[in-house]
Order: sequence, then C-alpha cells, then structure tokens
Amino acid sequence: MFVQQLMNGVILGSTYALIALGYTMVYGIIELINFAHGEIYMFGAFVGLLLVTVLDIPFFLAFLLAMALGSLLGVTVEYLAYRPLRRSSRLSALISAIGASFFLSNLALLIMGSQPFSFPNPFEAKIYHTPLFIISRVEITVLLSSLILMIALTFFVQRTKIGKAMRATAQDKDTASLMGINIDRIITITFAVGSALGAAAGVMVGIYFRTVTPTMGFMPGLKGFVAAVLGGIGNIPGAMLGGILLGIAEVMGAAYISSQYRDAVAFALLIIILLFKPAGLLGRPAQEKV
Amino acid sequence: MSRKSYWMIVTAAILCLAMAMVGCSPEEEAGVLKIGNVGPLTGGAANYGINVLRGIEVAVDEANASGELGDLTLKVYSEDTGGDWSKAANAFSKLIDVDKVDVIIGGVLSSESEAGGPIAKDAAIPTISPSSTSAGLTLDNPYLFRNCLSDEAQIEQMAEYAVNELGLGRFAILYTNNDYGVSLKDSFEAKAKELAKVVAIEGFMDGDENFKPQLTKIKQSNPDCLYIGGYYTEGAKIAQQAREMDLNVQILGADGLCNVALIEIGEEAVEGTYATSGFYPDDPTPAVQNFVTAYKEKHGEDPDMFAAQAYDAARIVINAIKTSGPSSEEIREGIAATWNFPGITGNTSIDEEGDTIKDVLILKVENGKFVRVR
Repeated sequence: MFVQQLMNGVILGSTYALIALGYTMVYGIIELINFAHGEIYMFGAFVGLLLVTVLDIPFFLAFLLAMALGSLLGVTVEYLAYRPLRRSSRLSALISAIGASFFLSNLALLIMGSQPFSFPNPFEAKIYHTPLFIISRVEITVLLSSLILMIALTFFVQRTKIGKAMRATAQDKDTASLMGINIDRIITITFAVGSALGAAAGVMVGIYFRTVTPTMGFMPGLKGFVAAVLGGIGNIPGAMLGGILLGIAEVMGAAYISSQYRDAVAFALLIIILLFKPAGLLGRPAQEKV
Repeated sequence: MSRKSYWMIVTAAILCLAMAMVGCSPEEEAGVLKIGNVGPLTGGAANYGINVLRGIEVAVDEANASGELGDLTLKVYSEDTGGDWSKAANAFSKLIDVDKVDVIIGGVLSSESEAGGPIAKDAAIPTISPSSTSAGLTLDNPYLFRNCLSDEAQIEQMAEYAVNELGLGRFAILYTNNDYGVSLKDSFEAKAKELAKVVAIEGFMDGDENFKPQLTKIKQSNPDCLYIGGYYTEGAKIAQQAREMDLNVQILGADGLCNVALIEIGEEAVEGTYATSGFYPDDPTPAVQNFVTAYKEKHGEDPDMFAAQAYDAARIVINAIKTSGPSSEEIREGIAATWNFPGITGNTSIDEEGDTIKDVLILKVENGKFVRVR
C-alpha cells in the first residue's frame, strides 16, 4: 500500500509541479506572484475541453493548442494588467494580479455557468498491474507528459540563448539590459512559457479528474504557489521538487493520518520547512542588491 | 337619556356588530372546503415552501377540475413563516381562527410543524406535513400526520436492500465532511453494522477531486460495497477513480447522487450504481408523468421532491374527504386510515402514531439512465 500511495502522491504532485513552474518563472524574472496563474490553468482546461468536444480535434493536437492559447492569455494578462504597473510598487502589481484572477474566473462563470463539465476520456480505460502498484493509462500519460515538459523546460532555460537571457534577466535586470537583452521581450516569453505549462496542467487535470469548472483554478493555483515557495521561489528545479513533495505529503497525510487533515498536514509541512529553510528547499538566501 | 335606553342602544350596537362580523366572516361560503398551508415562502428556505405550495396547488386544481369531490370546491389559504418557527405558531392560529380552514397541509420545516402541531391539536384541525422529518414529530398528537420518511429511515432501507436483495456484506463508507455527509455516514454505519460488517470509513472535503489516497486505503480492507455519502460531482469522480484502481465493487448512495450529472461525468464508471430517492420525475408510470406535465404547465419548471411529497399529502387529504367525509373530524379519521395509498412518491400508509410507512425509492443506473428498481 505504501508504494501505491507514493505513486498517487507523485502523480498528483507532478500536476502541482507544472503549475508551480509558472509561478516560479514569473517570480524569478519580475518578483511578482502571478495570482492569475490558477485561472490560466482553468482556461487551458476549458480550451482543451471545447476543442475536444465541440470541434472534435484529436486529443494531442488539442493539448498543444490549449498550451498555445494559454500562453497567449498569459501574455495578454501581463500586457494589460502588469506591464503598466512595472514602475510602480510591487504591492500594486500584486493587487492587479489578484484582480486579474477574480476577473478571469468570474468571466468564465458568466460564459460557461457554474455547473461542472465532463471531460471525455481520450484513452480507453486500461489498468496496468505491477507487483507493487496499479497504474492506469491516464496516470501514465499525466506522469510522462509532465516529465517531458519539465525536461523540455530545463533544456530551454539551460541550453538555449533565450534561456540564457532569461537567467541573466533574473539575476540582474539592469545589467542584462545593458548587455543588449530586450527585457520586455524576455518578460513576455517568460509569461508565455509559464502560462503554457499552466494550461498543460489544466488539460491534464481535466483528463485525470474528468471535470472542468470555472472555479477549478483557485485551489490548485494556491497549491502550485505553495509548491513554488516550498522549493524556493524563483528556482526552477525547486518548483518541480516542491510540487512532487507537496503531492506526496498530501496523499500520505490522507493515507496515514486522516483524510480530513490532508491539507492541514501538507501546509504544516510547508511551515516546518520554511522555519528551517526560509528560502525554500533549493532557494538561496536572498541578498539585498546594493 | 335614561339609563334604560342607554343600555338598549349599547346592546343593539353590540348585536349589530356581532351580526356584521358573522356576515363578513369567510366561513359561510357554501360548498367550499378550505385547505390551509404553512411554510417558508420567503427567506433562506423559501424554495422548499414555494415548491410545497405549488405541489398542493397542482393537486387542488386537478381535484376541482375533475369534479371528483362532487359539489365541493377546494380552496388553498397560504401563510408565510419566513422560515421562522415563532411566526409558524401565529400562522397556524390565523388559519384556524380567522380563515377557518378545515385541514392544514404544513408546516414545511420541522420547527414549523413542532410549533403548530399543538395549536392544531387544541383546535381539532387535522394537519399533515409534507416534509418535516424530525424524529418523533407526530407522537401524542392524533391531529398531526406527515408524508415523508425521516433521513434515517431512507438510509436504513438502503442498507437493508443492500444486504437482503443485493447480498452484500462488507461495507466501506466514503463520506463528505458536512452535515449531509456525516448524517448519511452515521445512519448507514449504524444499520450496516447491525446487519453485516463495516470494514472501512473514510471522509473527504467538499469539492475534493482526488480520492485515490482514501480509495487505496479502502481497497486494502477488501470491501464488496462502497457507500458514498455525498453529492453527484464527487460521487462520479469517486466511481471513476475506484475503477481506475481496479476497485470494482458495488456503489451505493443517497439522494445526493440522483442527478443526471452523475452519469454525464461518471459515464460507464457509475453504471450499476444504486441510490435512494424521495421522488423520481422520470418514472414512466402515468400518475408520475401526469403530475410532472401538469406541474410544468402551471409553474414552468420541473417538480422536486418537496413538490411531489406535497402533492401526495394533498392527494391523501382529498382521498380522506372522499372515503370519510368533509368535516375536520372526518378528514382526520380518513387520513389516519390511509393504507397503501398509491402516491407518486411510493405507496404510502399512515401508522397508528401518524407517521409514514413508505418504501423509499431505489434507483439504479442502467445503460446511462436512472431507472426505478423499487
């Protein structure tokens, strides 16, 4: 049973990790907690749902299109809600982010209504038995796609020129711009990539839990944020680690302590880790730039 | 003016006033039988009260149109309590003393019936509640009846059905941690323990999506049945995730699962699920379909369980008038004698305490549809 619960935790955690990446990338670049990220995730799930059910597009293509449209929405939110506030206090941008979050979820409520939509299962229901655990085809898909996306992101950030520019911008915006890096463009790309990952997580959770609602972004958005903080906000491997850990903590809390204290266990873990490592598991202590 | 003529004028004035009061009293309309109704038509519980009143209206319209009561015409007098039990006592008094009703259908909420029951008893006006489920409500009050099963009775019948008809014996319970879920869990656990074995009990929070930790634990205890104490969205997901984990046990639930969305979301995973319900609007029997059509025509929406139970309560009153007679006392005797009355919420009898004996409906998901199996 322990291994089965561990698997449950890793699969749940991999969706948290994908959401956490969006938070952490944006924070790394402009030190903004993008609270509208949960709504990008919800938007991705709805786009995937509509493409699959209404337009009858094959699932894989719908998945990619949802990511593309999700990143478009992320860039639009950045352009309309955050860019005009770039020079004002960080608090204003944070309030703007909360406003964008409410606006998007209420817009979805207005358009789609509050009843849950059922996501059709794109795969035949198949279950694989191993000596230690059982895993379904959907779970394998979720796990593999998250892994692939995370590897692709790591490659993008570490090995490409744009990735290098992103890392430079994160380290020091002013110096990076002196080196000829177009900061606005880098910020746009960061939002695009982070939002694409959020939308991907939305589609995957859609096929995993089989329902899509306008308010679905709130809790996972919060959990993704917690995962990002847990791993050290601004740190990409940290977000992956934080997501997986949070998933495992939640499942283990439900399995071995009490299913009603599930969130309490997960958040208690957050508090304990932050007490001992205030910058998160992989985060470096913040240094004031002089 | 002499003392004598003064008294004569006063007496005459009082007499005139008394005669005027008799004249304007609504009591004397010939051939009209007055049905009172008490319920919340405003406030948080307004939906219940409005639907109850609408159900009564459908039954009354039907009886008046068909002429089944001969020259007698039924008329409904309704009083709003706003969901407040203290106003319920006044509402009962007003219906009895001012409107002079012959029979009352109400209250809707248990607190209303508890406040109004003694008043109806003192005035000897028979009262039947369509929906007050509190325990022992009708005890020691020969004028108070009800036409609804208590929550416990519904759930106990599901447990009995599972053991006796479906041959299940190892129950796992997964419930949502709110009033509704906890009461389902408590009642089902008590009855299932008495009849068979409860091997696992797990809870979850409202709006949860991931039930795998709980289901993994439940699977360890090797149950043959999973009772879901919750609503349809979570029920559908639990069913799917259970199937994904190869936990292929019989799924049972209560009226919270009885919504088409259960099947829309759960698809093949909820096939074969059993759930209890107070009313089933898709039941193809003519009585139910006639009611649903008439209700939709008059009120423009589908009837719910409250409307159906109120309709049945009104039909029980009408039946009592037909079999026993139109005076309040005769109606009381008629209601008390109700036995195996074919209501749209199931065959209904009234026991010696004035409580309902009724088989709760059991629905099953078959080929993507709810069908009534009992």
